[in-house]
Amino acid sequence: MEYEVKLKKVGRKKTLRQRIKENKSWQNLSTFIWPLVFGLIMIGLWQKEVLHSWFHTDTFTLPLLNKIGGIMGDIHEKLLENTISTVQVAFWGLLIGSLLGYLIAVFVAIFPKVGKGGLSVIGAFASVPVVAMAPVFNNWTKDVSTDAGFRSMVSKIIVVTLICAADMGLNAYRGLTEIKPYSEDLMAIYAAPKRVTLWKLRLPNSVPYVFTALKVSVPASIMTAIVSEYFAEYITGVGRQIRENIVLAQYSTAWAYIATACLIGVVAYIILMVLQSICLKRYH
Amino acid sequence: MKERTRRLVTTTAIASVAIGLLSGCGGKQETGNSESAGGTSTSELSAADIIKKAAESGQVGNWGLGNEYEVLALLSKYELPTSYLSQDFTMDGFDDNSILLASAMTYNELGLVKNSYDGGYGYGDSVAYIDMNDEGVAMLEDNIFCTKSFAKENPETVAAFLYASLKGWEYAVEHPEEAAEICYEYGSSVSPEHQAYMAEEVAKLVSTDMSGATVTEIGFMDDSAMEQTLNIAKQYVTLDDATANKAFQSLTLDDIRDASYYEAAKASDGKFDIEKKSVSIQLKWLPDAQFMGYYVALDKGYYKEVGFEKVDIVSGGGDIAETTAVNNGTVDFGVTWETNLASADASGMDLVEIAQIFQRSGLVLVYKPENF
Repeated sequence: MEYEVKLKKVGRKKTLRQRIKENKSWQNLSTFIWPLVFGLIMIGLWQKEVLHSWFHTDTFTLPLLNKIGGIMGDIHEKLLENTISTVQVAFWGLLIGSLLGYLIAVFVAIFPKVGKGGLSVIGAFASVPVVAMAPVFNNWTKDVSTDAGFRSMVSKIIVVTLICAADMGLNAYRGLTEIKPYSEDLMAIYAAPKRVTLWKLRLPNSVPYVFTALKVSVPASIMTAIVSEYFAEYITGVGRQIRENIVLAQYSTAWAYIATACLIGVVAYIILMVLQSICLKRYH
Repeated sequence: MKERTRRLVTTTAIASVAIGLLSGCGGKQETGNSESAGGTSTSELSAADIIKKAAESGQVGNWGLGNEYEVLALLSKYELPTSYLSQDFTMDGFDDNSILLASAMTYNELGLVKNSYDGGYGYGDSVAYIDMNDEGVAMLEDNIFCTKSFAKENPETVAAFLYASLKGWEYAVEHPEEAAEICYEYGSSVSPEHQAYMAEEVAKLVSTDMSGATVTEIGFMDDSAMEQTLNIAKQYVTLDDATANKAFQSLTLDDIRDASYYEAAKASDGKFDIEKKSVSIQLKWLPDAQFMGYYVALDKGYYKEVGFEKVDIVSGGGDIAETTAVNNGTVDFGVTWETNLASADASGMDLVEIAQIFQRSGLVLVYKPENF
């Protein structure tokens, strides 16, 4: 007891600012507050047309927020319809791509000699621009179905799949192989077969890496879906609507779709974060 | 060493498989062509039957992005559902029969389908087409426009630019072959053979009106044709922005065109007191014979003759919105379609058409008779 008191006397008195800075709950709060303040300032600057004078633009190309919001309210049914189409593509592409990428990573982890080259090829796939891939798969999927809406969706999903598979494959491979040295030795001492090492050690170790991959591929899947809509045979989706409206110089409407695209991205990211905090609880 | 070789072999094997797969998608199916040549093209179907059949199977194609309204008007004319497939900027969809009735510009895609030079599909005269002008749903295409404020502040510049440009167009229409060569020199996006074909066809669009009559005055803004275009546009363009849509529906010709500059150019003796010596024009598409008049005027020095020091012809293409470029002052003049101009004005832009270069619609729907 006495010892503690002494310490307090000796140690320099902390300023209020420092104490606030070191307060745990303030730290948590501040990660929230600063972006919020920044957002509010941006909204203010936008609505008061300060941004317009900074970037030498007009309210025509950069419409005011209330105008964009008004249009979003007016056409919410159309927005929803296009959003569903985009989200479907992004979701299925993400799901199939991530599963595929993970399976490839497991395969490579088990047979490193055969698979390692494959991993680099997949990495190369990911660096092919979407604008190049989308028309290619459009032509490829012509025979999938007589329903243009369906086959065009398939082609979009394939593009998203490839992008996500690469991301997941590369990350999951690291998770499956970069293991604490002693744990691998321990498994060897137990004379554990490869299968058990995989199941008990490698797979659990890869879970955080899976989320690292998802943090990149969730936004990427939405972006890829939006870009491949530009080239799709069947006219639907948020991305396609952005393009159609800009060509007709309907910037307010285009912005309504851009805002929708942002919302989709943000919501998807929040869902991912919630999932991550549930799944990774035992890692903390 | 052994391991390295093995890894190298697997990598190259996988890479070559991947490359093989990718290269496969570029190949055209030659068999499709030869088969279709021997097909039964004897059955004589009317345009109505063909449109109905293609629309019922949902295989009418268009590029969208503001090019679709004539097709929509045509489909409604025959009381068919107004949906269409999105065509890319090749005619592969037409070639592989996924699109039975494909949109084509007489001066571009139609040539690619028919001709067998590099990039062509070589169908020759085995294909037939439905002309929008014959169907009464034609809309006006390439014009010249600028902003109302620019025109007001620089009336002499606008008149001089029109004077020289129209002179260029007149020359190009009379000498399409030479015009094609000039375009090719100025950085063409297509081959010389296709350029020559384009110039030939563009000349027809500039010098014939929607009813097929010869146009005596190039660049003249014909009210009835413009009215027809605007009416079709009002029927089939729905702008999601409610205020813009209302403004669009109440547009009249006087809001979007001003003939005074054209008249000034026509009445002039070629002497102008121009306010802005250096101007630029934004094309709607990549540089080619679709815009041969401007290249001819530049090459022959017509712009210099009227007093311009410098005229920049700015290439368009893809997603360049020419209306935006002109409205925000990046360029002074632009080439666009009446519908694009009207919808841009409805949503708050300040644009005005000053001359109409193409006097009839260049859009046709091309089909293989044996498919019907």
